[in-house]
Amino acid sequence: MTDLIVIGSGPAGLAGAIAAAGTGLRVTVVDEFIRPGGRLLGQLHQEPSGEWWNGIKEAEKLQHEAHALGINIRCGVSVYNIETAEAGWKVYTNEGVLEAPFVLIATGAAEYPIPVPGWTLPGVMSIGAAQVMTNVHRVQAGRKGIIIGANILAFAILNELQLAGIKVDRVVLPEKNAVSRQAGEPEAVIRSLLNAAHLAPSALLRFGSRLMKNETIRNIGTRFYPKNGLKINGTPLQLRKAAVEIIGTEQVEGVRTVDIDAYGHVIPGTDRLYEADFVCIAGGLYPLAELAAVAGCPFEYIPELGGHVPRHSETMATPLPGLFVAGNITGIESGKVAMAQGTAAGLSIAKQAGKQAAASGRQLEQAIEHVRTIRQQVAIQFHPDIELGRSQMNEQWKAHEGTSVQPGEKIG
Amino acid sequence: MIENKQLIICRCEEVTYEQLQSTARQHTCSARELKLRTRAGMGFCGGRTCRIALDAIMDSFIPDENKAVIPLKYQPPIRPVSFGTVGGRHD
Amino acid sequence: MTRIIDHAILGKLDSLKKVSFQFNGKSYEAYEHETVAAALLANGIRQLRVHEESGTPRGIYCNIGHCMECRVTVNHQPNVRACLTKVEEGMTIESGRRHPTPLKKTEGLQ
Ligand SMILES: Cc1cc2nc3c(=O)[nH]c(=O)nc-3n(C[C@H](O)[C@H](O)[C@H](O)COP(=O)(O)OP(=O)(O)OC[C@H]3O[C@@H](n4cnc5c(N)ncnc54)[C@H](O)[C@@H]3O)c2cc1C
Ligand code: FES
Repeated sequence: MTDLIVIGSGPAGLAGAIAAAGTGLRVTVVDEFIRPGGRLLGQLHQEPSGEWWNGIKEAEKLQHEAHALGINIRCGVSVYNIETAEAGWKVYTNEGVLEAPFVLIATGAAEYPIPVPGWTLPGVMSIGAAQVMTNVHRVQAGRKGIIIGANILAFAILNELQLAGIKVDRVVLPEKNAVSRQAGEPEAVIRSLLNAAHLAPSALLRFGSRLMKNETIRNIGTRFYPKNGLKINGTPLQLRKAAVEIIGTEQVEGVRTVDIDAYGHVIPGTDRLYEADFVCIAGGLYPLAELAAVAGCPFEYIPELGGHVPRHSETMATPLPGLFVAGNITGIESGKVAMAQGTAAGLSIAKQAGKQAAASGRQLEQAIEHVRTIRQQVAIQFHPDIELGRSQMNEQWKAHEGTSVQPGEKIG
Repeated sequence: MIENKQLIICRCEEVTYEQLQSTARQHTCSARELKLRTRAGMGFCGGRTCRIALDAIMDSFIPDENKAVIPLKYQPPIRPVSFGTVGGRHD
Repeated sequence: MTRIIDHAILGKLDSLKKVSFQFNGKSYEAYEHETVAAALLANGIRQLRVHEESGTPRGIYCNIGHCMECRVTVNHQPNVRACLTKVEEGMTIESGRRHPTPLKKTEGLQ
């Protein structure tokens, strides 16, 4: 018998499982990846303090804690559906159906692409794919790569590729179009990088300090941005070049670029071809909330959180009885925030399950407070207005409190 | 606007920007209908890869659709299941 | 592609036990516990399948189970994600093939 099924063994899922099991609940965790840890596994960066954040180590710590508490972690198990049962939820997996009164969905985030002509060629991958290949599987993504897209995830992973001795030839922007929008405008890209620069890891910090915060100077800065780009540990960041096509027949052979002005307009006659055997597309992250949608959970659209997010409270409850969410499914943030949210969710579930340890005392309130504190401290923040997004969700939750939702009622 | 009309947006069904654009023009349809007509976002990955890109394109064709509604419905199974597994749920 | 045996921060790769497997009828070596996708890339293979209708080559895209681009047939089971599947000794893996009569995409609601 299981009291709680946790879907996803990332930082949120594992922390949730640990908090719940700590109060005496019987917990099963399922995850389709080959080992526990979720996207924590690929993470490797230096904190402003100089300390290394090694996701593999962090994941191992969580895994040991979970084992000590008797939590059953099942990897290689994919959840393909979730439905209400007589008492709780039925979770359908490729290894059979699980049932429990409580479910915590902690499925994290997915990457969205910026489509570029030629992007279906083998050797073109999402930036996260290169991260996992390098740090988790320890196989080089290629000999010489080009990154398309300049955002915080791209810089974190550029650093990781360099650490592993992989040559990244250059970082260029996607061509400005209906999909890339601001990601294809040098001016807007610099603005968003500067927003992140004060808290970001080393490479970005050094980069950020070379650009100026003042608006007019920044504009001049983009206009006179050095043609060959600024270098980040030897890799030119070419904000005034856009990728127009990925070349190759059987697999990637190179990238064709054009020069662009500060607003992303193409400067005619500036075609160049750069050789590469792999290309990483850095679009961005969005909450992977498909299971919450299938369960019938209502959603809110909050761009600061990454788009469509299941409606939830600060106690990580959804409007559906027994269904909880934590981590990046509730909004795109760093692993540490996901972990803190997981703890809050686990305690919240224990409280509902009537576990004394969680019901009495201020554990849950403290866990919620801890989420807020961590949010202010983290080295990586994906959206500058995350606090705004969080408070919008809280308002939505309060506005709908008391209105009943039928589980299984499909939305969309 | 997208210059290269042959640009594939949905990898699974190989739906190009041009197909999306011409279908939207021809049928003046909703985002949902556009997906059904072109099959964009309805292939093997269930739209996980192209969903956000597709939404951005739809938004450029049809700006004022209700955002609180998820434009592309999620339908189980959201992961591949072998025939045996799906059958197994009924016994 | 080269393996990253020694890493400045992550340290040395341990557990270097080798297993052999077949991909499209050819034998390759992999390290135990690694995914099919990682093992094939380490052997220099990027193309995992072709698009069923157009025949265009495809490889991994997301590497974490979301995009389904890496689907292969493993021990006769089709549509298995190479990026989530651990290689095992003696495993046989096949690329999908292009459908013999490519379905013409028809416009219209189905
Ligand atoms: C590719 C990528 C790279 C990232 N890199 C960084 C970074 O460098 N630094 C940083 O701070 N943040 C990074 N992030 C953000 C990251 O999401 C958070 O740091 C954190 O890992 C989120 O934790 P989580 O527990 O919510 O989800 P995750 O860590 O994503 O864990 C979710 C888990 O759920 C599993 N899962 C999902 N769906 C199913 C299903 N249907 N069935 C079974 N299992 C399922 C997945 O396999 C996964 O293991 C990255 C995110 C992605 C997607
Ligand atoms: S590469 Fe995306 S599912 Fe395997």
